[in-house]
Amino acid sequence: MVRWMLAVVMLIPSFTLAADSEALLVIREHRFEPPELHVPAGKRIRLLIDNRDSTAEEFESYVLNREKVVPAHSRVPIFLGPLAPGRYPFFGEFHQQTAQGVILVP
Amino acid sequence: MNRRTVAVALAALVVGTSLHAAPADYVFLPSVEYGEREIDFKAGSARNSGDPQESAASLGFGYGATQRWFTEAYAKYERVQGEALAFDAWEWENKFQLTETGEYPVDLGFIVELERPQDRSEGYEMRLGPLLQKEFDQVQLNLNLLFMRHFQASVPAESKFGYQWQAKYRWQPRFEYGLQGFGDVAEWDHWGPSDEQSHRLGPAVFGKFGLGERQALRYNAAWLFGLTDAGPAHTLRLQIEYEF
Repeated sequence: MVRWMLAVVMLIPSFTLAADSEALLVIREHRFEPPELHVPAGKRIRLLIDNRDSTAEEFESYVLNREKVVPAHSRVPIFLGPLAPGRYPFFGEFHQQTAQGVILVP
Repeated sequence: MNRRTVAVALAALVVGTSLHAAPADYVFLPSVEYGEREIDFKAGSARNSGDPQESAASLGFGYGATQRWFTEAYAKYERVQGEALAFDAWEWENKFQLTETGEYPVDLGFIVELERPQDRSEGYEMRLGPLLQKEFDQVQLNLNLLFMRHFQASVPAESKFGYQWQAKYRWQPRFEYGLQGFGDVAEWDHWGPSDEQSHRLGPAVFGKFGLGERQALRYNAAWLFGLTDAGPAHTLRLQIEYEF
């Protein structure tokens, strides 16, 4: 029984589901560009976060259930969706006063 | 909030609470936050009708060393009803995030724990296994398959198999609710009869309070009911993490 469980677990990485859509979010001077990011509904999204600042930022969104530190001068991917139509706020935890944004799904 | 104040308060909780290892078990999650530091307090109390109450607690420090590796060291204490609080073991926990959240149908992590009990006849204890997570909109599901073995113990022991699971509804940041379960089936390749297996489950609550300046308090607690005679009838468990 346990051997079968482990075999299934080890196969997980082989089930790659390619993202349906890609998007780019840039962090510059502790702000997100664009502050409103439009993505299609019902699609899996590969969101690439490009931090062009000299300090790290943490992308965080409760409604999206994502927290990810983006080191300085680095790019990290975040996988989202499929998302239903609506607004999905996010922020940069390290610079909350300026790093605010929303993902809009029509 | 002053970081020193929070750290001292958590340390005081350990001194003021006396607890045993198994009741303080908690559900591992497969994700790692790079650069995060945390002080982690865990506690639990379990009892069966007619048996002495057993309690456990631990206090540790953890660090997200890389995007994929979180490491934590902690001290564990135990107390059986009627006896004094006693130091139980040192433990070193290493968690590895193997996949990006949401990239695959199931998120995958791996845990490796090494424990050095105060009772040297127990040798060393290692526990390891895969951590699985799946989300459906606001519902998050976790399942962990864990294998445990003692090394250099005075009495040879077989590898044991256990599990953890939780189902959580993410209602709002400060309050989420769901169910948790823990169990073990004795030897991993030769499950014991049902009356030798321990299975517990019950309601759980979760949440996170942002404190500003990259600080936060996370909590989760559960009241577990034993489903078999081999385990405790009731377990109350709690975890509080101060992140900074």
